[in-house]
Amino acid sequence: MIEIKDLTKIYKLNKRQMAEAKTKDPYKRAVDGLSLTAKEGEIYGLLGPNGAGKTTTLRCIATLIKPTQGEIYVNGHEVQKESEKVRDSIGFLTSDIKLDEQFDVNYMFDFFGRVHKMSKSEIENRKAVLFPYFGIDEFASKRIKELSTGMKQKAAIAVSLVHDPDIIIFDEPTNGLDIITARGVTDYLRKLRDEGKLIIMSTHIMSEAQKLCDRIGMIINGKKIAEGTLAELLAVTGAKDLEDAFFEYYKQAEEVEA
Amino acid sequence: MDGIKQIFGKELARIFRDKKMIFSTFILPVVLMVGLMTLVGNLAQGMMKDLEDHEPVVYMMDAPASFTSFLEMSEITYKEKVITDEAQLKKAKAEIKSGKADLIVEFPVDFEKAVADYQVGDNLPQVKTYYNPSEEYSGVAYDQISNQALEGYRQALLADRVGDVSTLTVFTVNSDNDEAIIQDEEKASGKAAGMMLPYFITLLLFAGAMSIGTDMVAGEKERGTMASLLVSPLKRSSIALGKVFALMVISGISALIYVVTMVFFMPNFTGAAGGDMGSAIKLSLSPGQIGMLVALMITLSFLYASLIVFVSVFAKSVKEASSYVMPAYILILVLGMMTMFTTKAPGMESFMIPVYNNTLAIQGVLSSTITMPQFLLTLGETIVIGAVFQFLIVKAFNSEKLMSA
Repeated sequence: MIEIKDLTKIYKLNKRQMAEAKTKDPYKRAVDGLSLTAKEGEIYGLLGPNGAGKTTTLRCIATLIKPTQGEIYVNGHEVQKESEKVRDSIGFLTSDIKLDEQFDVNYMFDFFGRVHKMSKSEIENRKAVLFPYFGIDEFASKRIKELSTGMKQKAAIAVSLVHDPDIIIFDEPTNGLDIITARGVTDYLRKLRDEGKLIIMSTHIMSEAQKLCDRIGMIINGKKIAEGTLAELLAVTGAKDLEDAFFEYYKQAEEVEA
Repeated sequence: MDGIKQIFGKELARIFRDKKMIFSTFILPVVLMVGLMTLVGNLAQGMMKDLEDHEPVVYMMDAPASFTSFLEMSEITYKEKVITDEAQLKKAKAEIKSGKADLIVEFPVDFEKAVADYQVGDNLPQVKTYYNPSEEYSGVAYDQISNQALEGYRQALLADRVGDVSTLTVFTVNSDNDEAIIQDEEKASGKAAGMMLPYFITLLLFAGAMSIGTDMVAGEKERGTMASLLVSPLKRSSIALGKVFALMVISGISALIYVVTMVFFMPNFTGAAGGDMGSAIKLSLSPGQIGMLVALMITLSFLYASLIVFVSVFAKSVKEASSYVMPAYILILVLGMMTMFTTKAPGMESFMIPVYNNTLAIQGVLSSTITMPQFLLTLGETIVIGAVFQFLIVKAFNSEKLMSA
C-alpha cells in the first residue's frame, strides 16, 4: 500500500530557472499538499498536464527526492527513514532512468537481481517469466546501445521487475513506444494488477488512463483536484469520457485559482 | 559489504568485458608512450649520427703548416678552405652566419715565428675562431677544432718550448685512479630511478583514474544510469565505495603497466638518445621495499580515486567533471615535479604535505633513505585524507540537489 499524507515539494530556483519560468519567486511548489492512498490489486493513475507534479510525486515515493513536507509510507515504511526497505519493495521506471548501454540485457538483469540479493536460480526463474513475455530472448545478449527504443524500454521494464516487487511505479510507461509494444506493456500491467500487485503510474494519455486505471487522481499545479474511479469521475462531471471530465475539472480549478 | 562488491564488480566489468575499453584504457596509452619515446630516441640517435658523419667546412686564415699537419694526424675530418685577406674573412663570416660554413680559424701572420721568438713580457699571439652556436654542425666543429684540437696543438708547442711539459703540470687528479667512485650500487641505482619513477608513479596513478573516474560518476549522471542505481536498495555509501575501489584497481593496474613498461624500456630509450641514464635504472628491490611501495601505491590510489569521485559528484557531465579535475591534476604534476629537484634530505614536515609526501616516500623507498616514522606518517595521512573525501562523497551521494539534478 502507498499512503501519501500532505506531500509538498518545493524547489529553489536559480536565476536562470527563474528567468525561464518568467517569475521573481525563487521557490516553486512542484507538489502542494497532495494526499492519496493506493492499495494492492489496483492500478492508480496520476493524470495531469506536463509540469503538474506527477513525476515529482513518483520520484518522492521512489526515494529519489525528499519531500519538503508531508509523509509517504510504502508498505508501512516511511520513505525517508527506511529508504532502502522502500526501494527493495518497489519497481520504478521512468524515461529519465536508463540502463547502462555498455552492457547487454542479460548482464543488467543479473546485476539488478544480485543487487536485490536474489540467488542465481531466482534470477533465472524471473528471466524465464519476463524475457519470453516481452520478447527479450532474441536480443538479451546484445548490448543495450545496439537496441531500438522499444527494445530498450522492454529491457528497462523487465529489469525494474526483476525482484518481483509488490509495488510498481511507472512514470509514463508507454511514452515513445509503438502501439504494439505499448499494448504489451499495458497488458502486462493488468496481469500484475490481477496478481495482486499495486501499480501507480503517471500518464497524460487520457485514453490509456481510461482503459487501464482502476482509480485516477487528477493533478494540476501540484494539487490533487479530483480522485475516483472512471465511473465516479464521469458521474460527478456528467462528461462522456475521461478527457471531457478532466477538462471540466481543469476549468473549475482555473476558476478557483483566478 | 555486498552492495560495495556488486558495484565494484559492475565497474570492473564495464572495463574488462569490453575489448575496446581494455585497449583504450591499458594498452593504447602504453603503446603510444613506447612508440613516442622510441621515435624520440631514434630521432636523437639519428641526429647524433648525422653530426658525427658531417664533415665540417672550416676556413683557415694564415694557418701555420704545423697546425694543418697536427690536424691531419688527429682523427678529425674536415673540409678546409683557405682565406687570405679581410674581404674573404668577411665573406666567410657571412657563410658562418647563414650556416653554409661551420668554423673560421684565424691565426696571426707569422704565428710560428711569434711563438718561437717569444720573450717574457711579449704579447701572446692570439688565435681567433668564429662559429655559429645556433647551428649544430658549427657547434660540433667549434668543440672539435677550437676546443680540442687547438688545445692539443698548444700543448704540443708548449712541449717544444720547455722540453718536458710535465714540469709545468705540477700534479694530476685521478689520472690512474680507477676507484675514485665509492658508492652503494643498489642505492645509486635506486637514486637514479628515484629521480623520475616517483614522479611518474604519482602522476600516472592520477592520469589513469582521471577519465574513468569522471565517467564513473558524472558520466553515469549524464547518461541517466546513476538514477537506476539510486532507486535500487543499495546504500548510497555502498555505491560510492564500490566506485572508488573499482577506480583504485583500474588506476593501479594502469600505473603498474606504465611503470613496468618504463623500467623495461627506459634503458632502450635513454640508450638510443645517447645518454647514460639507461644503465643507471637497474632496480633491485628487497621484499620490504616492494611491500612499502605497494602500500604507498594502494593508499595513494585510494586518495586519488576518492578525490576524483568527489569532484565528479559536483558535475552534471563528463566534460564539466574533467574541467573540475584538471586543476587537481596540475597541482599533482607540480608537487610531483618538485621532488625531482630536491637536494637536501627531506625533514618530517615535508612528509606532512599531501601527495608531495607520497612522491618523497616512493623516492625514499627506492633510495633506501626513508625512515619508518616518515613512511607511517605518509601512509596514515593519505588514508585519513582519502577517508575524509569518502565521507564527503557519501554526503554528496545523499544530496538530492547533486544526484537528482
